[in-house]
Amino acid sequence: MAGPKFKTGLRLMSGNEAVAEGALYAGCRFFAGYPITPSTEIAEVLAMRLPQVGGFFLQMEDEIASMAAVLGASLAGAKAMTATSGPGFSLKQENIGYGCIAEIPCVIVDVQRGGPSTGMPTKPMQSDIMQARWGTHGDHPIIALYPDSVEEAFWETIRAFNLAERFRTPVILLSDEVVGHMRERMFLPKPGTVSIYNRRKPRREPDKYMPYEGGAQDVPTMAAFGTGYRFHVTGLFHDRTGFPTNDPAIIESELRRLHRKVDRGYNEIMKWEEFFLDDAEEVIVAYGCTARSARAAVKRLRLRDRKVGMFRLKTIWPFPDRAIRQIARRAHTKLLLVAEMNTGQVLGEVERAVAGKCAVEGLQRLDTEMITPRQLMRALREG
Amino acid sequence: MSCLDDFAQYPPEWCPGCGNFDLLDCLKQALCDLGLQPHEIINVIGIGQASKLGFSLKCNMFDGLHGRALPVVLGIKMANPAVKVIATSGDGCFYAEGGNHFIHNLRRNLDVAILASDNRVYGLTKGQASPTSASDFKTKVHIEGVGALPLNPAALALVSGATFVARTFTGAKAEATELIKKALLHRGAAVIDIMSPCVSFNKVNTFAWFRQRAKPIGPDHDVTDLHAALKLAFHDDEHIPTGVLYQTRRPVFGDHLTVMQGESIVQRTLRFTPDRVRPLFKDFY
Repeated sequence: MAGPKFKTGLRLMSGNEAVAEGALYAGCRFFAGYPITPSTEIAEVLAMRLPQVGGFFLQMEDEIASMAAVLGASLAGAKAMTATSGPGFSLKQENIGYGCIAEIPCVIVDVQRGGPSTGMPTKPMQSDIMQARWGTHGDHPIIALYPDSVEEAFWETIRAFNLAERFRTPVILLSDEVVGHMRERMFLPKPGTVSIYNRRKPRREPDKYMPYEGGAQDVPTMAAFGTGYRFHVTGLFHDRTGFPTNDPAIIESELRRLHRKVDRGYNEIMKWEEFFLDDAEEVIVAYGCTARSARAAVKRLRLRDRKVGMFRLKTIWPFPDRAIRQIARRAHTKLLLVAEMNTGQVLGEVERAVAGKCAVEGLQRLDTEMITPRQLMRALREG
Repeated sequence: MSCLDDFAQYPPEWCPGCGNFDLLDCLKQALCDLGLQPHEIINVIGIGQASKLGFSLKCNMFDGLHGRALPVVLGIKMANPAVKVIATSGDGCFYAEGGNHFIHNLRRNLDVAILASDNRVYGLTKGQASPTSASDFKTKVHIEGVGALPLNPAALALVSGATFVARTFTGAKAEATELIKKALLHRGAAVIDIMSPCVSFNKVNTFAWFRQRAKPIGPDHDVTDLHAALKLAFHDDEHIPTGVLYQTRRPVFGDHLTVMQGESIVQRTLRFTPDRVRPLFKDFY
């Protein structure tokens, strides 16, 4: 296999291909997964592309094994990821929780399809929003991103890796069958021009290394297995040495630190798009494939002089509640219309953030067909 | 009595030439020959092209999760041991995702006929290697080959504790039908690894490839001899013995439990007679 090989410039790609390519730019050198529609193309592209850049690819015996292998690879020092869809995402959850408490950077892609259960493998839904947040047991922080286009799938994958490395945590990259399978024109930059964050390595001598000492930023430095550092990793509650503890005070302070490291990163993690919001009276809140219809609806209504805009979530978790509260407090904001392909998983979060400062309504669709611009326009006319 | 049409349901959507068509025919024929009615059978399936067989076979059906058919069977059989349960799925479902359940339910000698349609490839997700693919099998995600030994379903079934182990080929329909009948009549964990060609994604293990290699086991094989069965299970790929490798009798799971004696737990009525309740009161008061 030849050395690093990146095709740059203008390309026609699918969202799943863009995720795979983005992972390579971000420095991902390990993928373990199990085939599942509609995410399989990510594995197929990486099976071919990873060896070309000196990376490792393996189809495992199931999704649980895949997620565990990703944790192992990351602890050994490789940037690692897996990709799946709803049923496989459910299976990975226990290991994702391990990644959260053991603070193991990695990226999990969930290309959403109809659910629950086997649901509709070949069509989109946006019903894993809460699974991304609370899929694994226990009180843990999580970061989840959700692009709405092929080009953004590329960039958000890179951002997912950067955030995973920066905060030493699993990051969920949500996508959906539409974003994953549609093809769009996109520009692939030169690899050196993309900013990449790598996990901070310990500076102390190996015998003084504390694998879970938060330091000034609450994010511990991370040694790799086999680099002269000897350390202990466990899913049990542990102290800064990494060894299990049952001291209630340490358990509380360590769990608080786990949450604090992500809370303090709010500004770094949070990303959203404001589309015609400056004077908007009615604001569509949308994300993923639904945001594409929302953008079209806003454009059409603006042509009719309607003061309509869109707030698009790119970071889903932690939830951008401060940004949404700010929009709700603007004097001209009358209504937030939350459009999503589920029964209101983000609607509830928006209501919590807005806390009655303006009217909030939901537009929901569960038939695995996209919400159309016309549907949104009708909802705003009647609203 | 029943006839083939009694078991007909939605027409299958496999590729023309798929071995699963033959397997479906054989299964229907076996059910008819045994005089079973659609309402007497429960078919538990998983996920995969082979599992889709379930949609085309009229009977009670549990269309389950990928790899998880057998634990569902356990639930059904413990609640009502009288019902006839078959589990139909493929090599990916039984041996990869469901590998753990396969081993442990054979240890239990769960009373079920396991029909594993083994095409040595993933058809539903379009052409990745399965646990039974050859080590040098190349796919779009195994560009340099699988690099792991193919799983040996018959040998695994034997060492895990199955009490009926057979192997057949969808091209040998008479043999396959007879084996399915034997598996259905067997009390205990019956496994048939059914070699079934995938015409779209496996260009190595084709119909001709299987036909050349599938050779019926001779009459001098003693099916009660586990070591002889293991010898037959460890075939070389040029000569694949088909037929019953092993059959024995062993208590099925539940036989050792007091609660499983007599009528099933779903038929049992809860009766709080004084002589049943008195010992309970004694425990607490």
